[in-house]
Amino acid sequence: PPPSTAGFGCVDRRDMNRKKDKGFESPRKSVIGYVELTIFPTVVNLNRIKLNSKQCRIYRVRVNDLEAPFIYNDPTLEVCHHESKQRNLNYFSSAYTAAVTAVDPDAGNGELCIKVPSELWKQGDEMKVLKVYIEFSLDQPKGGLHFVVPNVEGSMAERGAHIFSFGNQNSTRFWFPCVDSYSELCTWKLEFTVDASMVAVSCGDLLETVYTHDMRKKTFHYMLPIPTAAPNISLAVGPFEILVDPYMHEVTHFCLPQLLPLLKHSMSFLHEIFEFYEEILTCRYPYACFKTVFVDEAYMQVSAYASMSIFSTNLLHSAMIIDQTPLTRRCLAQALAQQFFGCFISRMSWADEWVLKGISGYIYGLYLKKTFGVNEYRHWIKEELDKIVEYELKMGGVLLHPTFCGVKEKDNPTPHLHFSIKHPHTLSWEYYKMFQCKAHLVMRLIENRISMEFMLQVFNKLLSLASTASSQKYQSHMWSQMLVSTSSFLKSISNVSGKDIGPLIKQWVDQSAVVKFYGSFAFNRKRNVLELEIRQDYTSSGTQKYVGPIKVTVQELDGSFNHTLQIEENSLKHDIPCHSKSRRNKKKKIPLMNGEEVDMDLSAMDADSPLLWIRIDPDMSILRKVEFEQADFMWQYQLRYERDVVAQVEAISALERYPTPASRLALTDILEQEQCFYRVRIQACFCLAKIANAMVSTWTGPPAMKSLFTRMFCCKTCPNIVKTNNFINFQSYFLQKTMPVAMALLRDVQNLCPKEVLNFILDLIKYNDNRKNKFSDNYYRAELIDALTNSLTPAISISNEVRTVDNLNADVRLILEEITRFLNMEKLLPSYRNTITVSCLRAVRMLQKNGHIPSDPGLFKSYAEYGHFVDVRVAALEAVVDYTRVDRSSEDLQWLLDMVHNDPTHYIRHKILSMLCKNPPFTKAEAADSSLCNEALVDQLWKLMNSGTSQDWRLRCDAVNLYYTLFGLMRPSCLPLPELGLVLNLKEKKAVLNPTIKPESGSFYGARDTNPLTLFQYPTQDEEDIDMDTVHDSQAFIYHQLNMLERPSTPGESPAHPVLLPMPAMPLPMFSKESSGSSKHGEHQHHHHHHEHKKKKKKHKHKHKHKHKHESKDKEKERDARGFSNSPASGHSLRSPSLSD
Amino acid sequence: MADPAVVSGSLNSRSGGSKAVAGPAENYVLARRRTLQVVVSSLLTENGYESAEKAAVESLTEMMQSYITEIGRCAKAYCEHTARITPTLPDVVVTLIEMGFNVDTLPVYAKRSQRMVITAPPITNAPVVAKALSTGQKRSHPSHIPSYFPEFPDPHTYIKTPTFREPVSEYQVVREKAASQRRDVERALTRFMAKTGETQSLFKDDLTTFPLIAPRPSTIPYLSALLPSELELQALEETDSSEQDDQTDSENNPNNIVSDDPGADKENSVLPSGGVVPTVKSSEENVIDNPYLRPVKKPKVRRKK
Repeated sequence: PPPSTAGFGCVDRRDMNRKKDKGFESPRKSVIGYVELTIFPTVVNLNRIKLNSKQCRIYRVRVNDLEAPFIYNDPTLEVCHHESKQRNLNYFSSAYTAAVTAVDPDAGNGELCIKVPSELWKQGDEMKVLKVYIEFSLDQPKGGLHFVVPNVEGSMAERGAHIFSFGNQNSTRFWFPCVDSYSELCTWKLEFTVDASMVAVSCGDLLETVYTHDMRKKTFHYMLPIPTAAPNISLAVGPFEILVDPYMHEVTHFCLPQLLPLLKHSMSFLHEIFEFYEEILTCRYPYACFKTVFVDEAYMQVSAYASMSIFSTNLLHSAMIIDQTPLTRRCLAQALAQQFFGCFISRMSWADEWVLKGISGYIYGLYLKKTFGVNEYRHWIKEELDKIVEYELKMGGVLLHPTFCGVKEKDNPTPHLHFSIKHPHTLSWEYYKMFQCKAHLVMRLIENRISMEFMLQVFNKLLSLASTASSQKYQSHMWSQMLVSTSSFLKSISNVSGKDIGPLIKQWVDQSAVVKFYGSFAFNRKRNVLELEIRQDYTSSGTQKYVGPIKVTVQELDGSFNHTLQIEENSLKHDIPCHSKSRRNKKKKIPLMNGEEVDMDLSAMDADSPLLWIRIDPDMSILRKVEFEQADFMWQYQLRYERDVVAQVEAISALERYPTPASRLALTDILEQEQCFYRVRIQACFCLAKIANAMVSTWTGPPAMKSLFTRMFCCKTCPNIVKTNNFINFQSYFLQKTMPVAMALLRDVQNLCPKEVLNFILDLIKYNDNRKNKFSDNYYRAELIDALTNSLTPAISISNEVRTVDNLNADVRLILEEITRFLNMEKLLPSYRNTITVSCLRAVRMLQKNGHIPSDPGLFKSYAEYGHFVDVRVAALEAVVDYTRVDRSSEDLQWLLDMVHNDPTHYIRHKILSMLCKNPPFTKAEAADSSLCNEALVDQLWKLMNSGTSQDWRLRCDAVNLYYTLFGLMRPSCLPLPELGLVLNLKEKKAVLNPTIKPESGSFYGARDTNPLTLFQYPTQDEEDIDMDTVHDSQAFIYHQLNMLERPSTPGESPAHPVLLPMPAMPLPMFSKESSGSSKHGEHQHHHHHHEHKKKKKKHKHKHKHKHKHESKDKEKERDARGFSNSPASGHSLRSPSLSD
Repeated sequence: MADPAVVSGSLNSRSGGSKAVAGPAENYVLARRRTLQVVVSSLLTENGYESAEKAAVESLTEMMQSYITEIGRCAKAYCEHTARITPTLPDVVVTLIEMGFNVDTLPVYAKRSQRMVITAPPITNAPVVAKALSTGQKRSHPSHIPSYFPEFPDPHTYIKTPTFREPVSEYQVVREKAASQRRDVERALTRFMAKTGETQSLFKDDLTTFPLIAPRPSTIPYLSALLPSELELQALEETDSSEQDDQTDSENNPNNIVSDDPGADKENSVLPSGGVVPTVKSSEENVIDNPYLRPVKKPKVRRKK
């Protein structure tokens, strides 16, 4: 296995010991620990080791018991340096990509550079094992580890205080120094010393738990013998309640105090998921044990790590809760799928991520199919397909397998994006979600091509190779079998199936974008032929051209027939011969695709044509959007008689365009039909509401769905009263929940919600009686409130009238009374997940928005505070975000941004930014005339993404997204002209330079190290091209080498990587001790920037002259400059007064 | 011995206390008593007294009454002893003998010349024995039981009798009532809570029409949001899943809601408190070898205590 990292071979075993000290009254939120890495050099002359480490304070580093000097430099702390007045996103994105690359472990880089003591150099030839020992501490970490410490009386255990690790992709470096790469495997021995009342849950097998000598603490000893990458290591500590799975004793569940009954119920079916995966993969679960931990304030709902998963505690539910049950099961199934593909099998590089996400998503889909049924599965696939298609058409393509032939900007495979897809840490969160979605859809396409049997064989092969490899020693060089790569995966597929899936991969994996079809047809009666025309749009963004087979299903009078057409370059028209004549054989039943034979009323159809309906690509075997034109009656037949839920869903969306009595009838029939899939019926409700509104002048009878609802859910004797709740039949429960919501969307001729409907909903609320129900009705009541919200229409306002109670509309008064009562009752009897409060907050916002009550964010702000349930907070924040947009309130925008800075919950911070992106206070187009768009905001956001979010990759990308949404890629228009900016820049440079460089660096390092010595000298520009052979200045020489290492390793660039460097003799084998404190660090980073300015000045001028032609070149130069400045070797900052000695 | 009921009745009536004594029964007792007093007075006159203190007359009346009552009680006992229900003359005779009275002297005494004739007591209605709750039809005797045997008691005392309560009215009214009662209670309760605590208002000028209880951040928000409330748990126990869409007990409704005053401590008491369950579990299933259930080891190097 070729070690991909430059500096060292592989890390075999790390011993870690983390001790947690917690005060009782004032928790210190700190961790101290050490890491011991055993390194087998695979290159001779290993003299530098680069590790990843963020925010850790490193006290000492020893290599084989010798003190080793080290440098710590993290260019991602501050991406662009503050004296730069550049404010365009292109600049930021490329700088950020460069910064991430500069510490990318896959490129052999890292924040922490350890110099192997010269005493050990000679041993390099013998390839002797190096043991690196690092002592570090973490104080109040802002990322990587999250401390939840409720502010109440009592001991930490009584308060339910807990800690867990988190992060987006490889983020383990936030909490201990490591090689933070998915491709560096090693075995682990982990030790955690925690308070005696706590349980430390981590990866691997718990060997033993031992008290410390004072008996006040316990040490948990874990051993993970399966080679595992550092990003798959996690930790959770808390006063957890422990539940051993009754079906599988090697599985242990952990939850916070008092939640055990919920845990028992929620985990009662986990064994089924285990059995399912083990059966289809014909492979045992790879780890000896499995742990699930449910934590509060989780970063993501589900995060999978080696042999354990961390979930949000909000997934737990009791037996009374209907709606959460399938969601929780899905989350568990996802987590477990990732145990096999993602944790056990890791990836070779970021470009291979799609294989892991694809396989885990695909087998998760199989689980869905088995547990929730084929209808649910197909419906899900359709939803996912719609999602990815919508995203790609809107935002541009999603590329699964990015290949980077060069580092040049023009080779960027995704120029349409405002971020780089080269690293997981530069991706927008939305994009990554879509990436995962596309990955599993593509896996399904592969399955379609090679059959499920072969697909599972491939997975089995990958797993069995990996498990063979996992039991081997490192020296056997087998471990790379545990890493999947795109090419090895494809090779397995071709070996197992013997099929060539090259075109498929090329189309969907190596290329971004989806296919957009337009279809229409004509029936040629003379020839009895269906003339189908399929056109493609492959010019708009996010689309690509498709060439290949496509399946078309035609339902005729005599049956259903599949045709496979070949989409070629120039052929648009396809002739499909029909089997039946258009004659009507009245008595005859019509055979369907599934063999069923049904009676149909054929009076609606065209007398000349035997065609009932036509479907293009019914199996969804292309990632496509199809806009197909057929007559309304054909859609109606398709809805009524086609048994595939996807077809029904498509028919319903098409029928929205045909508001006719016939459509109404078809939809009503579907609504009533109990055999019909409930999601289809739910969709039919909303479609029916739309149709009714379109037909408002000709509509006869009671409001749509009212009589239906009465018939299904009201008492026989008194039709205005709903039956007491009984949700034992889930299908009708979901329908009962949805119909009022859809009905409330009905509007009369005045465009108001009909009085009859409103009263009906109010009656439903009034007569709602759940006492005899074994399920909670909280979701049902919440949806009734949603129905009230939906019934709201804008108030008729007489110019700027202040909204008071007295001029409240009578209907609105009734609604408001209900909402008040619900919201108040919730304080006394909180509902599960506070669903009712969430709905009430939305309702209040709608009342405000429609001008019924005064618009005011105060209420929402109080609900958005820390200390409310997270769903409530999100709903309240959503309202504030909306208020900010509608009322253009800079004060509230500021309030939101402050929360992004300060809120303790990472999820909330992420959510605020993503909601601001979805519902921005202004957009690029509006920026010019929005009072919100000003220089201060630009600076604030810039600061946020530049340095304010360095502890959370996801948050930084969210901030980038927001910046993009508000200002676009170019320099925000509200800023002074760029030329002016440049002048300012120059001026400021002078102003900044003097105070930054001398006094601070001097005082800082001078104070710290009494006898510091640094090897680096401030290099001049010329020295960059220093010749190795002729150099005598060792310091410059070293600088040069380090700079080389910082650069991304590209095949051609680093032939001798790393090079043995004769280190200068040093009086003390010690580097100046680097502090990991971010603020201090940030400061000395500024220093080495001033030389860059000289360069930049030239460049800027240049740039503006030849803006377009040379932009890419300039960027490249800029990048070089940055690489140079970001390098730890730009160590003039380390220069201390004593260097002159 | 005086019949306690009679005594207490008369005493009570004089002191004007309880109104609980039924009117006709009281009259009946008073009339009897008055007759007895007349009898005592006439006997005294017969024996040559001209006047008597009221208290003395009362005492004598009391003695007389006791004596007669005892005769009656005893005669009834003799009659029932021979399995009859109506005393006959011999029963009374035996009684008198038993009480030490020479029966033979009675005819002579009755026919004495100087005896005074007193008017018959006024006819008052015999007291209506308040019927115990009579439900259903009393059963008549089967043919083998003579008719003079006592009647069967009310059927509900010895066989199952369904009790019907006239439905308040039809279903609709019940539901209506339940719904509005619940709503009133909820509104009253929430208004009360709003008045006693901090509130928010949707209108700046009017703070009372739609008072909203101000949200209070909780230190552990997920507990109240995830755990089912006590009410729900209780409802779940009572519920049987079968559809019961007929009778709703409207009176239970407000009680249910009022009695539920959610307090965190209450919820805690319902659920097993932390840490207890796992240990119980581990002792139950000590077969399970799970590393998290194993006891914590003592440190290897032990100090001397």
